[in-house]
Order: sequence, then C-alpha cells, then structure tokens
Amino acid sequence: MMDHSEATREVLWNISNGWIMYALLVPTAAIGIYGIWKRFQSWKQGLPAEGRLDNPGKRLRFLWQHALLQRRNMRQRFAGIFHAMIFWGFITLTIATTVVMIDHDFGIPIMKGAFYLYFQSLFVDVLGLLALVGVALAGYRRWKTKPTKLVYTDEASMILILVGIILATGFMLEGWRIVATNDPWGAWSPVGYATGIVSAQFFSVETLIQFHLWCWWFHLVLVFGFLAWAPYTKMLHPLTSALNIYAANLEPVGASLKTIDFEKAETFGVNALKQFTWKDLLDLDACTECGRCTDACPANTVGKALSPRDIILDLRGWLHEGADDEFKLIGSTDSLESDRLFECTSCAACVDACPVSIEQLPKIVDMRRFQVMEEAEFPETMQQAVNSLEERQHPYSGSQFSRADWMQELDIPHASETDDAEVLVWAGCGASLVERNQKSIRSLARLLKKAGVKFSVLGRDEKCTGDVARRIGNEFLFESLAKENIDNFKKHKVKKVVTACPHCFNTFRNEYPQLGADFETVHHSAYLGSLINEGRLKITVASERRIAFHDPCYLSRHNNLTEEPRDLLNSTSQVAMTELPRNRQNSFCCGGGGGMSFVDEPSDKRVNHERAREILNTDADTVAVGCPFCTTMMEDGINATKGDRKIEVREISELLDEACNGESNT
Amino acid sequence: MSDTNFKVITAAFSQDLNAATAGLLGAGQRLANDAGGTHIAICCGSIDSTLSTQISAFGDRVIAIDSEPLARAEPEAWLSCLRSISAQETPDAILLGNDTLSQEITPRLAHRLNGASIGDAQSVTIDDGAIVITRSVYGGKAIADIELTASPAVVWIRAQSMDPADKNAAPGTIETVPLNESADLQSHIIDTHDEVSEGERLEDAQIIVSGGRGLGGPEPFEELVSLAKVLKAQNAASRAACDLGWVPHSWQVGQTGCKVAPQLYLAVAISGASQHTMGIADSKAIAAINTDRDAPIFKHCQFGLVEDFQQVVGPLRDKLSDLL
Amino acid sequence: MNILVCLKQILDPEVPVRDFAIDASGLQADPACANQVTNIFCENALETALQLKDLHGGKITLLTLGPESAEDALRKGLAMKADEAYLILNDTEQLPDSAATAKALAAAIDKLDAFDLILAGRESGDWGAGQTGGLLAEELSLPFTAFVDQISLEGEERLVLRQQTDSGWKSFSSPKPTVASITNSDHNLPRIPKTRDIIMANRKPVTTWSLEELGISQDSFPTQETKARVRQLSIPEAKSDCEFIEGDSVEEKIEKLADKIAAIARAV
Ligand SMILES: Cc1cc2nc3c(=O)[nH]c(=O)nc-3n(C[C@H](O)[C@H](O)[C@H](O)COP(=O)(O)OP(=O)(O)OC[C@H]3O[C@@H](n4cnc5c(N)ncnc54)[C@H](O)[C@@H]3O)c2cc1C
Ligand code: SF4
Ligand code: SF4
Repeated sequence: MMDHSEATREVLWNISNGWIMYALLVPTAAIGIYGIWKRFQSWKQGLPAEGRLDNPGKRLRFLWQHALLQRRNMRQRFAGIFHAMIFWGFITLTIATTVVMIDHDFGIPIMKGAFYLYFQSLFVDVLGLLALVGVALAGYRRWKTKPTKLVYTDEASMILILVGIILATGFMLEGWRIVATNDPWGAWSPVGYATGIVSAQFFSVETLIQFHLWCWWFHLVLVFGFLAWAPYTKMLHPLTSALNIYAANLEPVGASLKTIDFEKAETFGVNALKQFTWKDLLDLDACTECGRCTDACPANTVGKALSPRDIILDLRGWLHEGADDEFKLIGSTDSLESDRLFECTSCAACVDACPVSIEQLPKIVDMRRFQVMEEAEFPETMQQAVNSLEERQHPYSGSQFSRADWMQELDIPHASETDDAEVLVWAGCGASLVERNQKSIRSLARLLKKAGVKFSVLGRDEKCTGDVARRIGNEFLFESLAKENIDNFKKHKVKKVVTACPHCFNTFRNEYPQLGADFETVHHSAYLGSLINEGRLKITVASERRIAFHDPCYLSRHNNLTEEPRDLLNSTSQVAMTELPRNRQNSFCCGGGGGMSFVDEPSDKRVNHERAREILNTDADTVAVGCPFCTTMMEDGINATKGDRKIEVREISELLDEACNGESNT
Repeated sequence: MSDTNFKVITAAFSQDLNAATAGLLGAGQRLANDAGGTHIAICCGSIDSTLSTQISAFGDRVIAIDSEPLARAEPEAWLSCLRSISAQETPDAILLGNDTLSQEITPRLAHRLNGASIGDAQSVTIDDGAIVITRSVYGGKAIADIELTASPAVVWIRAQSMDPADKNAAPGTIETVPLNESADLQSHIIDTHDEVSEGERLEDAQIIVSGGRGLGGPEPFEELVSLAKVLKAQNAASRAACDLGWVPHSWQVGQTGCKVAPQLYLAVAISGASQHTMGIADSKAIAAINTDRDAPIFKHCQFGLVEDFQQVVGPLRDKLSDLL
Repeated sequence: MNILVCLKQILDPEVPVRDFAIDASGLQADPACANQVTNIFCENALETALQLKDLHGGKITLLTLGPESAEDALRKGLAMKADEAYLILNDTEQLPDSAATAKALAAAIDKLDAFDLILAGRESGDWGAGQTGGLLAEELSLPFTAFVDQISLEGEERLVLRQQTDSGWKSFSSPKPTVASITNSDHNLPRIPKTRDIIMANRKPVTTWSLEELGISQDSFPTQETKARVRQLSIPEAKSDCEFIEGDSVEEKIEKLADKIAAIARAV
C-alpha cells in the first residue's frame, strides 16, 4: 500500500518554454477583458434600476439556488440535465485549474495527498467526463432532434464543437502523461487512465510523449482562444446570467412593472435602448437562447407571431451593433413589430420559464407604453376599452349594467354607512359589469353573510383598478385611476380588502403600495378558506363533481398563490380533484389578460381554445375558475370545443356556495 | 277650443305620395282639425300635376310650386320659398318630414321666421293653446314633453310612424305662388349619389336580423337574408357564427365587433352573452327567437318567441311580405 | 384654414338604464347619475377639423357653452391637438335650449378672429335636438350643410361638403366661411390623444368668458332666449320583462310576431 500523503504530480511535465504560456495569457486576457468591459459599458447606458442590488444575503441565496444548483434550469428534464452536467463539469475544471495555479505559480503546495487523489484526480476526472457527455447530448439535440425553440447559429455550433475538443484533448493529455511517466496514482483519474492505456496499445511511449507535447500546445491555444472569444458570444452567459440572477426581481412577478415619473421622464415607455434600465440591458446579454420563454408563451403556442425569445435576441442584436440613441426599436425587426407586442396576454409564462431570470414581460409593457402613450397607435378595440376607462372608469363600453346591480336585494352596506366592517369586498369591473360574473360575486356575498362576516362595499364608487390600462401600456391612466381609488380607500379607512379578481388582487397587493396605498388584500379563495378553517363556514353537501382547477396567471405565476384555491375546492366535492397537465406556476393562460379580453383574436388562434382542449382531455366534469376574465374565456372556449361532452365552468365561490347551501343559481 | 285663424303648413319634398308624405299630411291635418284651423300642404310640382291633385285630398289648401331648384331639393331654394310663403300666410305651425332636407332646414326656417324649432317629434298636439311635442331623449332613456314658445313652431316629425290622413270630404283648392327664381344659391348641390344597395353600414341600419350558433350552419343564414330583404333590413351575427365561417366577420356585433343602434334588433338563435349584448345596448327594440326560454337574450328583449327557428323564419318572411 | 369647432359636454349616453335619474326640477337628467363626457358627434367634428389641418395647415379653435366641468371637454380637445379653447360659462342650473345656445355661441364667435369653417356635431347624445348647427349658421348669416362626413377644398374660396343622405350622399359647394354639422363615418373616428399631449393640454390656457362679457344678461339666460320649454320629463316604464308571444299554434304565434315586427318596420 502506497502512502497517500505522497500523492501528487508534476505540473508542466514535458513542457519547456512554459513562459510562452504566460506570454499568451496577456493578449488573451486583454481581448477577453475588453469584451467584458464593452458589455459593461453598453449596460451602463441604461437608466438606473431601483432595488436591484439591495439585500445581498437574499440575492446570494437566490444565486446559489438558481445559478449553482441550477434549480430553474432543471425544470426541463433533458436540456436541464445536460446543461447542469456541462455547467458543473466546467465549474469543477475551473476550480482544478485554480488549484494548479495556487500550487505551481504561488508555490503553496496544496495539490497533494488525499486532496490530490480524491478531488484533483478522481472527482475532476468524473465531472470532466460528465461535461463531455453533456456536450454530446447537447450536440445530439442541436443536430439530431432539432427542437424549434432553439436558435440555430454557426456560433452556437462552433461553441459546442470547441468545448467538446477542449474536454477531449484534456483527457488525452492526462492519459498520455500517466502512461509516459508511469504515474503510480494514474488509476485515480480513471477516464484519463483508460485513455492512456488504450493509446499505449497503438503507439510507443516515445510517440505518446511527442503527441503530448503537440497536443498540450494545441489544447492551450484552444482554451485561450475560447477565453478570448467567449465574451463576444453567448458564452458570456455564465458571467452575465450569474450577474442577472443576482440582480433578479425578488418581489413577486406581479410587482415587476416600473412606475413612471411623468414630470421628469423624457419619454413615456421605451423605443430606444437607453430608455431601458441597465438591468434590462443586462437581461439581454444574459440570454442563453434556450427558447423556453417562447415555448411557454401562450400566444406563440396558438400560432401567433409573438416570441419573447426573439424580442430579447433582437434587442440584444441592436445592443451589440451599438445602435445609436436615435435608433427606434419598435418595428425594427419582425419580432419587434408593434402588432406582436399587442398579442401578449401578460401571463408571465416567459418570465417564469427563463432559467436566468430574464424579465421579458416588463420590456414588452415598456414598448407598449411607448406605442400607447407616445404614438397612440394600438389595436382599435383596445382603444375603445381605454376610452371607456377614461370616460366611465371601466373598460366595458356598452355594458348595460351598473356597478350596483349585482348587490340588488343583498342589502350590503356601503363603506360610508358602517364602521365595523371586517373587510371590504371589492367586486371589480369584470364581476359587476359582465352579467355572467354577477352570479359569482353574488355567491361570494352570500357566503360571507352566511359566515356572519361583517363586510362593506364601495358599489358605484368603485373605479377600475387600472390593471387593464397598465397592461395595455397606458401608465398615465393607470396612475390616475389608482390614485383615485387609493384616496377613496383612505377616505373610508379601509384596512382589508377581499376580492375575487386576481387582477385587482395583484394591482392592490403589488402595485398600489408603489403609489402610497396601505391596506391588506386577500384573494377570496384564501379568505373563504380561512372561514372554513375557523369553522365559520361549513360544507353541508359536498358535491360529486370531478373538478379541475384552472390556475389564473395573476394568482399562480404573478403571486405564487396556488394551494389555497385547491384546498377550498377539495373540500367542496367528495370526488378527488383532477390536475390539468399544465398547473400551478406552469398554468396555461386563458387568453384574457393584458387587455386581450378587448381584442378579437383570429378564430384559429385563440388561447382559450387551446386551454379548453387541454381541459377536455382530462376526466374533469367541472372547470373551476378564480377570475372573471377566466370565467368568460373558459366558458367561451369550452362551449366552442366541447361538442357533446358534459362539462361546466364554475367560479370558486359558486362551487362553495353550492356545497354550503345546496344551490348556486341566483 | 276652436281657432279658425290657426294655420298649419306641411311641406313635402318627395315627388310622390309615399308613406312619409302620407304620415306628414296626416299629422298636419289632425293638428289643424284639433285647432279648428286650416291645413295648407305645400308640394313641388305644377298645379295640375298628379302629386298636387293627390295631396289636395288631404289639405284644405294646396300650394304647388313648379321650380327646377326645388325639384332638385336645393336646401337654400326651399328655405327661401318656405320663408316667403310663411311670411305671407303667417302659420302657427310648420311641419316637415324626417328626410335629410327637412332635418337640415328646420332650424334655419324657424330662425328666419323668429319661430321655434324642434326635431324628431313623435307627436304634435295643442295643449292650452300651446304647441307641444313629445320626443324621446337621453338615448331613449326618457321622454320629454316640450312646449314651443315662439311662433311659428317649425317641427320635423317621425312622419313614417304617423297615421296617414283621412281624405277630406271635398278636395282642397290648388294654387301656386310666384317665386323669385333669380335668387342665387350660395351653397348648392354639385353631385348626388344614391347608393344602389341601401345603407351598407351596420351601425346605421334601422332593422337588423341577426343569427347565432344555434342556426347550425351557413344555409339558414340565407333564410335570414331573405327575411331581411322583406324588412329592408341588414344582417348581422354573433361572434360564434362568424368564427364558424358561416358569415363574414364584418357581420359581427358585440364587444369586439360592431356597436349597433337599430329600431329593431331581431336575434335568431343567439344566446345573448354579455359580449354580444354590449353591441346592441342602444337598440330601440330587441326581439329574439330561441328554443331556450332561459336564454339571457330574453332579458334584453321587448318581445320574444320560444320556438325552433326552422319552423318560424320561412313563414314569418311570407307573412311579413304580405303585411309590408 | 381657420376652423372653429363647437363642443358639447353631455351626460354619458352609456349610463345604464338603472342608473339614469331625473333631477329635482323634474326637467333634466340628474347630472350625478353618470359622468360627463364629450358628445361623440362633436368629437367627429373635431377629428374632421384635425384632418383638414393635417392636410392644409391652419388653426383650430374650440368653443363650448357649459358649466365649469365643460373645461374637461375642451382639455380633451386640446389634447387631440386643437390650438385654442374658449368656455362660455353658464352656471345656471337650467339647461339652455338650442336657440339660446346658438345665440351665445354666435356672440362668442363674433368676438374671435374670422373663421373659414365652423363645425358642430349633428346632434348631442343627451337631448338629441340637432338644431344648434343650423341656428348658429342663421345667427351668423352663413350658409349651412347638415350631416356632413367629408370636407375638401375647392380652390381658394370654396369648400366641398359631402352630406350623408337617406339614400346615399350629396356634395355641396359652399363659399367660405361656412357652417356644417358633422355626422359620424368610418373616416372621422376621433383619434386617441397621446399622453404627452394630454399633459401639455392641461397646461394650456382655456379662456373663460362670462355671458355678460358677450353682452348676454346672465340673469335672464337662458329663459329670455328660450323658444322651447320642457314641460315634463319622464322615464318610460322599463319593461324589463320580455313579452313572450303565446298562442295555441305555431302559426298563431308567428302571426302575432309578424304583426309586431311589421309595426316597427312601417315606422322606419
Ligand atoms: C373576449 C371576448 C370577446 C367577445 N366578443 C364578442 C362579440 O363582439 N360579439 C359576440 O357575439 N360574441 C362575442 N364573444 C363571444 C360570446 O361570449 C359568446 O360566446 C357568443 O356571443 C355566443 O354566440 P351565440 O349566441 O351565437 O352562440 P351560443 O351561445 O351557442 O347560443 C346559441 C343559441 O341558439 C339557441 N338555439 C339552438 N338551436 C336553436 C333552434 N333550432 N332554434 C332557435 N334557437 C336555437 C340556443 O338555445 C342558444 O341560446 C366574445 C367572447 C370573448 C371571450
Ligand atoms: S407574458 Fe405570456 S403572452 Fe406575453 S410574451 Fe410572455 S409568455 Fe407570451
Ligand atoms: S430569455 Fe430566458 S428563456 Fe428566453 S431564450 Fe433567453 S434565456 Fe431562454
């Protein structure tokens, strides 16, 4: 048994003129660093981004999870795993190289003994192999299975080939050295060892020593070349995505839109690179071209042209080209056409899918803002909605209903008529002005009454929260509606609001505080759940419905609220719930957000039809919804696609009302 | 109350005695009779033209004027003509029809005579010696009784919806007046275009026959088209029907389609989803044919029929072509 | 081209039936039952003017008669890029009739520069009388064309105005200056103002004139000028219940249905 503490190897074995390596390092570093510096400069032209570097502890944890542990990346099985293999392989190799440097160049002898054997030899060897397998799998995907979401560029192919060769030559060097030096510890590097043994079958030791010398310089040139070139390619992403994940939005997605200072802003919205923030520009360089965002995008899925990935890549193209300040982004490429920007439902599937925390949606909204506020050019039916919001503070031009209609005969006090209300129930435009949804909000009110909750309403004094205006891009209108509502809440000393609309919920919870609001907001699914838990509401007749819950984007993705509605729904039926294939944060949009409820989609490209087909493929007989837009969209989609199938769309409160009262239709 | 000096002038610009002219003459005659006064009917034509002879059955006096600019319906020519006749006759009321020309000159004539003007009257009566009209206001949400406090009262009325006049026992006299033809017109017609297919814009349609998914296919829409022809109506559809490719998307009415305001909106096999009814809120009357008594469309209807459209549309068309 | 556009602020015509209410006087709608908005035909008129200005240059002046709140309508017009705005302040409770309105508007126009073209909406969405444009033309002794949906220049001195008629359209040639009332068409849909213009519009001056400044006695306005007096205003009983046509046979029901439809068709 050999003494492990003796174990080490000779650095720069077989290499004379090692100084050339150090000499080459200078231009390599210069070119590489210049590349990085240029990127930094291009981000710096952006506007300040607030709150992106605060809270370092939390940010480092986030970085640990999503960069080092590759959490989000791993959500995709195949690509996630091979990417992680390459990623961890390279991290390990980088550490190993650093160890060599410390040992050899700084003269601190750490590369020896058990550390040398277990880490520097065995572990590094195995992870190197994993990286090589990862590269092979990536190649298989890129050149064989060819999924459409990938971007096929020569650059990407070159990178993959280069990385493959670098890894392979590394193993050859190791193997040949082991054979030539008859390294007693050689077997601790199994892959290199095997390479050496196999080589020795074909070549003499002298030849291998010669090969080693040439290969060493070849390997070195490739590595240095790669290091110098990488900052000019998407291979900058290990750096940029780490920075980007560090500077990610730590708030819920629903809080990611920026406010505008209308007194000071030079332009409203974005149509030039420097109108983005530096974080937006960093986003562009962080993109790995993985295509997951476009793959998740509901508009893209149903055949529309919108592609969040292409938006990011085309913007990056202009950033790299050094487009000047005057250069107009909107309409400059196909993916940046105005029409496409107005296909977005603001569902945030793209944001959620991105492994490197890029925020596509806020950029789309930024550009919409420009189209709406600076150009006044956007779809005509959205204009009608905006006009109606201006004139009558709701987007439903033509509605024959008043905001007070739903509460007829329910005898609910106005906030000004009562002092002891526990909560204020906010109906919202979608519930009060669309006939179908009045049923849902009436159910909610009845449930609260049954539970003995003292609540009030604002009735005719409600104004649209501004969600629709904000997503369409009319920030100015949003701000004025929001301020009026906030004043009204203050006037009536409202402390806690319950709403059945996830859009109102998101706006109140995440956006109104930016404008000085100070009250708590609860989605009705959570509030009703707490009433059941407290025993204030009791299920009397659990139904026999097989329920599938369609998660609203503004609850699940925008606010990470997914379990409360399920708990509630589970209690209403004796039959176990069915999960839709795309559920929770991975839910598929109904198509109604982002002002899209006010646009007539082409009949063969409807988001709601796609979702309805998904639902029809399950064994559910009831689709539970928790949002007025979803109700309209799912009812419309289901009716258009269901054929003879018996299936109903029911709002959460309607189902609970049924289970607590044994009836729901009033 | 009887005031033999009370004079009503009606001015018909049409070249024949159509329903609107008949309604106008009826309103004039009844107003004159109520007051116990005279009804003077003005028309464009020679003293012995068919029109003036026909009209003489409904007026105490007929003033027939034969003039080229009047026949061309030049507003300024009619204005000065009516003004000079009125200066002569000093009428208490001047009634006009609901054609474009009448609507255009009503306020101007009133102003020139120092009188009062109003439009879209659904009834004209005398109450306490004052002329009072009724009209619907605030988009049909209210009805107003309006008294005209200056004389003469110049009023254009919903002539077509007025009952036609009864023939007088003896035909009225037919006379004519000399016109100052030389008066040149500041503003004059340079081109006239009558659309072959009447009023293509759904927004402007007076009657709309609309169909939905319940029709089950494009063929039944042909029946709705022929029903619409009988009613001189336009056709429309719900989005569901447009989406299915049964009819063009330009037919779509609703939140994301056209907003319409007809006198009658007839919804056949349409359920009446909010998105649809948002487009028909301004309709004066809504009617529906649907097999489902609980269909939400009936909540918006003045009248409705719970039947299968297949049994109804054909016979309904035949019946209506007899009636109209 | 120097164009004046008359605007009117009205009660939102989309006020839901259940919200619609009549005020204490019993003679007009309760202004509190809905928002005040700009009359759509007035916006069509402004859009027509804006398009003429886009083509030929010139200046657009807005004029309205109304309470202080009517300033909002002017501001919106300024945001659409009209150049100047004037408000004739009428803060009496009583609504003026068309004759009184036309008198006040004409008095204001006399005080302003000469115009080539004066536009108004064909009628307003509240009372819908459709008299003001014609009366204004008479007050000013100018030619008038109603229901215009397109205007173009005919040389230096004349304009061509296209009128929508019952059966199609007619074109009129009229000397400048002229008055027209504008109706809606698919090419005069009012433009959506840009946000920056909305903000700028809030900073532009709006000149307010009292009736006195126009030589009209505030105390007797509008009564002295009024030629049409509202005697009574009532809300027709809302027949929210659909009348289902009943009968012993399908034929009988169809017959009843046909009668009802024919009655409406005849009136059209
Ligand atoms: C964002 C959005 C915007 C929309 N915009 C619009 C819009 O602008 N316009 C619009 O119309 N819709 C719009 N919709 C769609 C709307 O929600 C409804 O889906 C649609 O109006 C339904 O059309 P329908 O009434 O023809 O069909 P259905 O709802 O399927 O109704 C068919 C009706 O026919 C009846 N019927 C069936 N057979 C017969 C028979 N033999 N005789 C008589 N009656 C029969 C049935 O009882 C039923 O009431 C929109 C939807 C969304 C989500
Ligand atoms: S927010 Fe949704 S619809 Fe918009 S680009 Fe992203 S994934 Fe597509
Ligand atoms: S933005 Fe994110 S999800 Fe989209 S392609 Fe780039 S890295 Fe992938």
